Amino acid sequence: MKNDIESRLREALRPVAPTEDFTRRVIAQATAKSARSADRSGGAASRRLWWLSGIAASLLMAAGVYQHQRAQREVADGLEARRQVLQALALTSQKLDLAYETVKSQSSSLGDPEAGA
Amino acid sequence: MAMALALRSINLNDSSLDYLDQQLARARAGQPTAIAALIRAHQKSVYSLALRMLGARHLAEDLVQDVFIQMSENLSRIETNQHLGFWLRKVTTHRAIDQLRHRTKFELAPLLDEDHVSDEAGNRDPLLQKSLGMLLADLSPDARAVMLLRYQEDLDPADIAKTLDMSINTVKSHLKRSLDLLREGLEDELT
Repeated sequence: MKNDIESRLREALRPVAPTEDFTRRVIAQATAKSARSADRSGGAASRRLWWLSGIAASLLMAAGVYQHQRAQREVADGLEARRQVLQALALTSQKLDLAYETVKSQSSSLGDPEAGA
Repeated sequence: MAMALALRSINLNDSSLDYLDQQLARARAGQPTAIAALIRAHQKSVYSLALRMLGARHLAEDLVQDVFIQMSENLSRIETNQHLGFWLRKVTTHRAIDQLRHRTKFELAPLLDEDHVSDEAGNRDPLLQKSLGMLLADLSPDARAVMLLRYQEDLDPADIAKTLDMSINTVKSHLKRSLDLLREGLEDELT
């Protein structure tokens, strides 16, 4: 009995097709909608591309400016270091000259017996 | 198992499945002929589910149109033709159940309208068709969907449960209760 009613149901519920006219209408609507979706997604994709390009260009520009500023700062630091080294060398040279003069004057006074009397 | 399910549900052989997978890839790229091929391959299943769930041709046609338009907008998310069959059955049954739940008892239409039975039932017994139609119309929307997925789409309880987001036990109990009701009803009608 169970199998009987099940086979009756299967027979009664075999899929049926809609009319050809209706099928054509559905196809026309679905393809039109798909084309509009494709256009929209294409437009959205190109807008996304523009945004990404803009962001990438801004990042590149910011990186360039940062690099340039860093290079300028390094040159300025280098020049300052050079100036300081030269200044230190000049001071050292002056001190050495002074020390040399002092040593020289003391040694000449020690070598001259009258100078000590 | 999965392939066998797809074969049963849409009555296609291996080569036509390959063909429909190719059509799906082309449809995703927006080719109108491929979208048409997919609609033609699945329209019987979707239309029959909609018609037998809602009980009136004009309501079924509106639903079928909406479902296929939704399909054309969601092709990028559908991986294979088998997945498409599952997706179409799921969307159709869920939307039909929603519509039926929002109807009042007074608005419930018979399962098949008269001209539809005479037009499309072919050489099937019209009395049995009508009786089954009326008996199925008395079932709750969930039970009707379970019966249609089982006996129209030939899905097993596990696949019905997945399609309708129900537990397998709920599906089995719907099947048992509905079969008992139909058996009683048919005995009264045909004796």
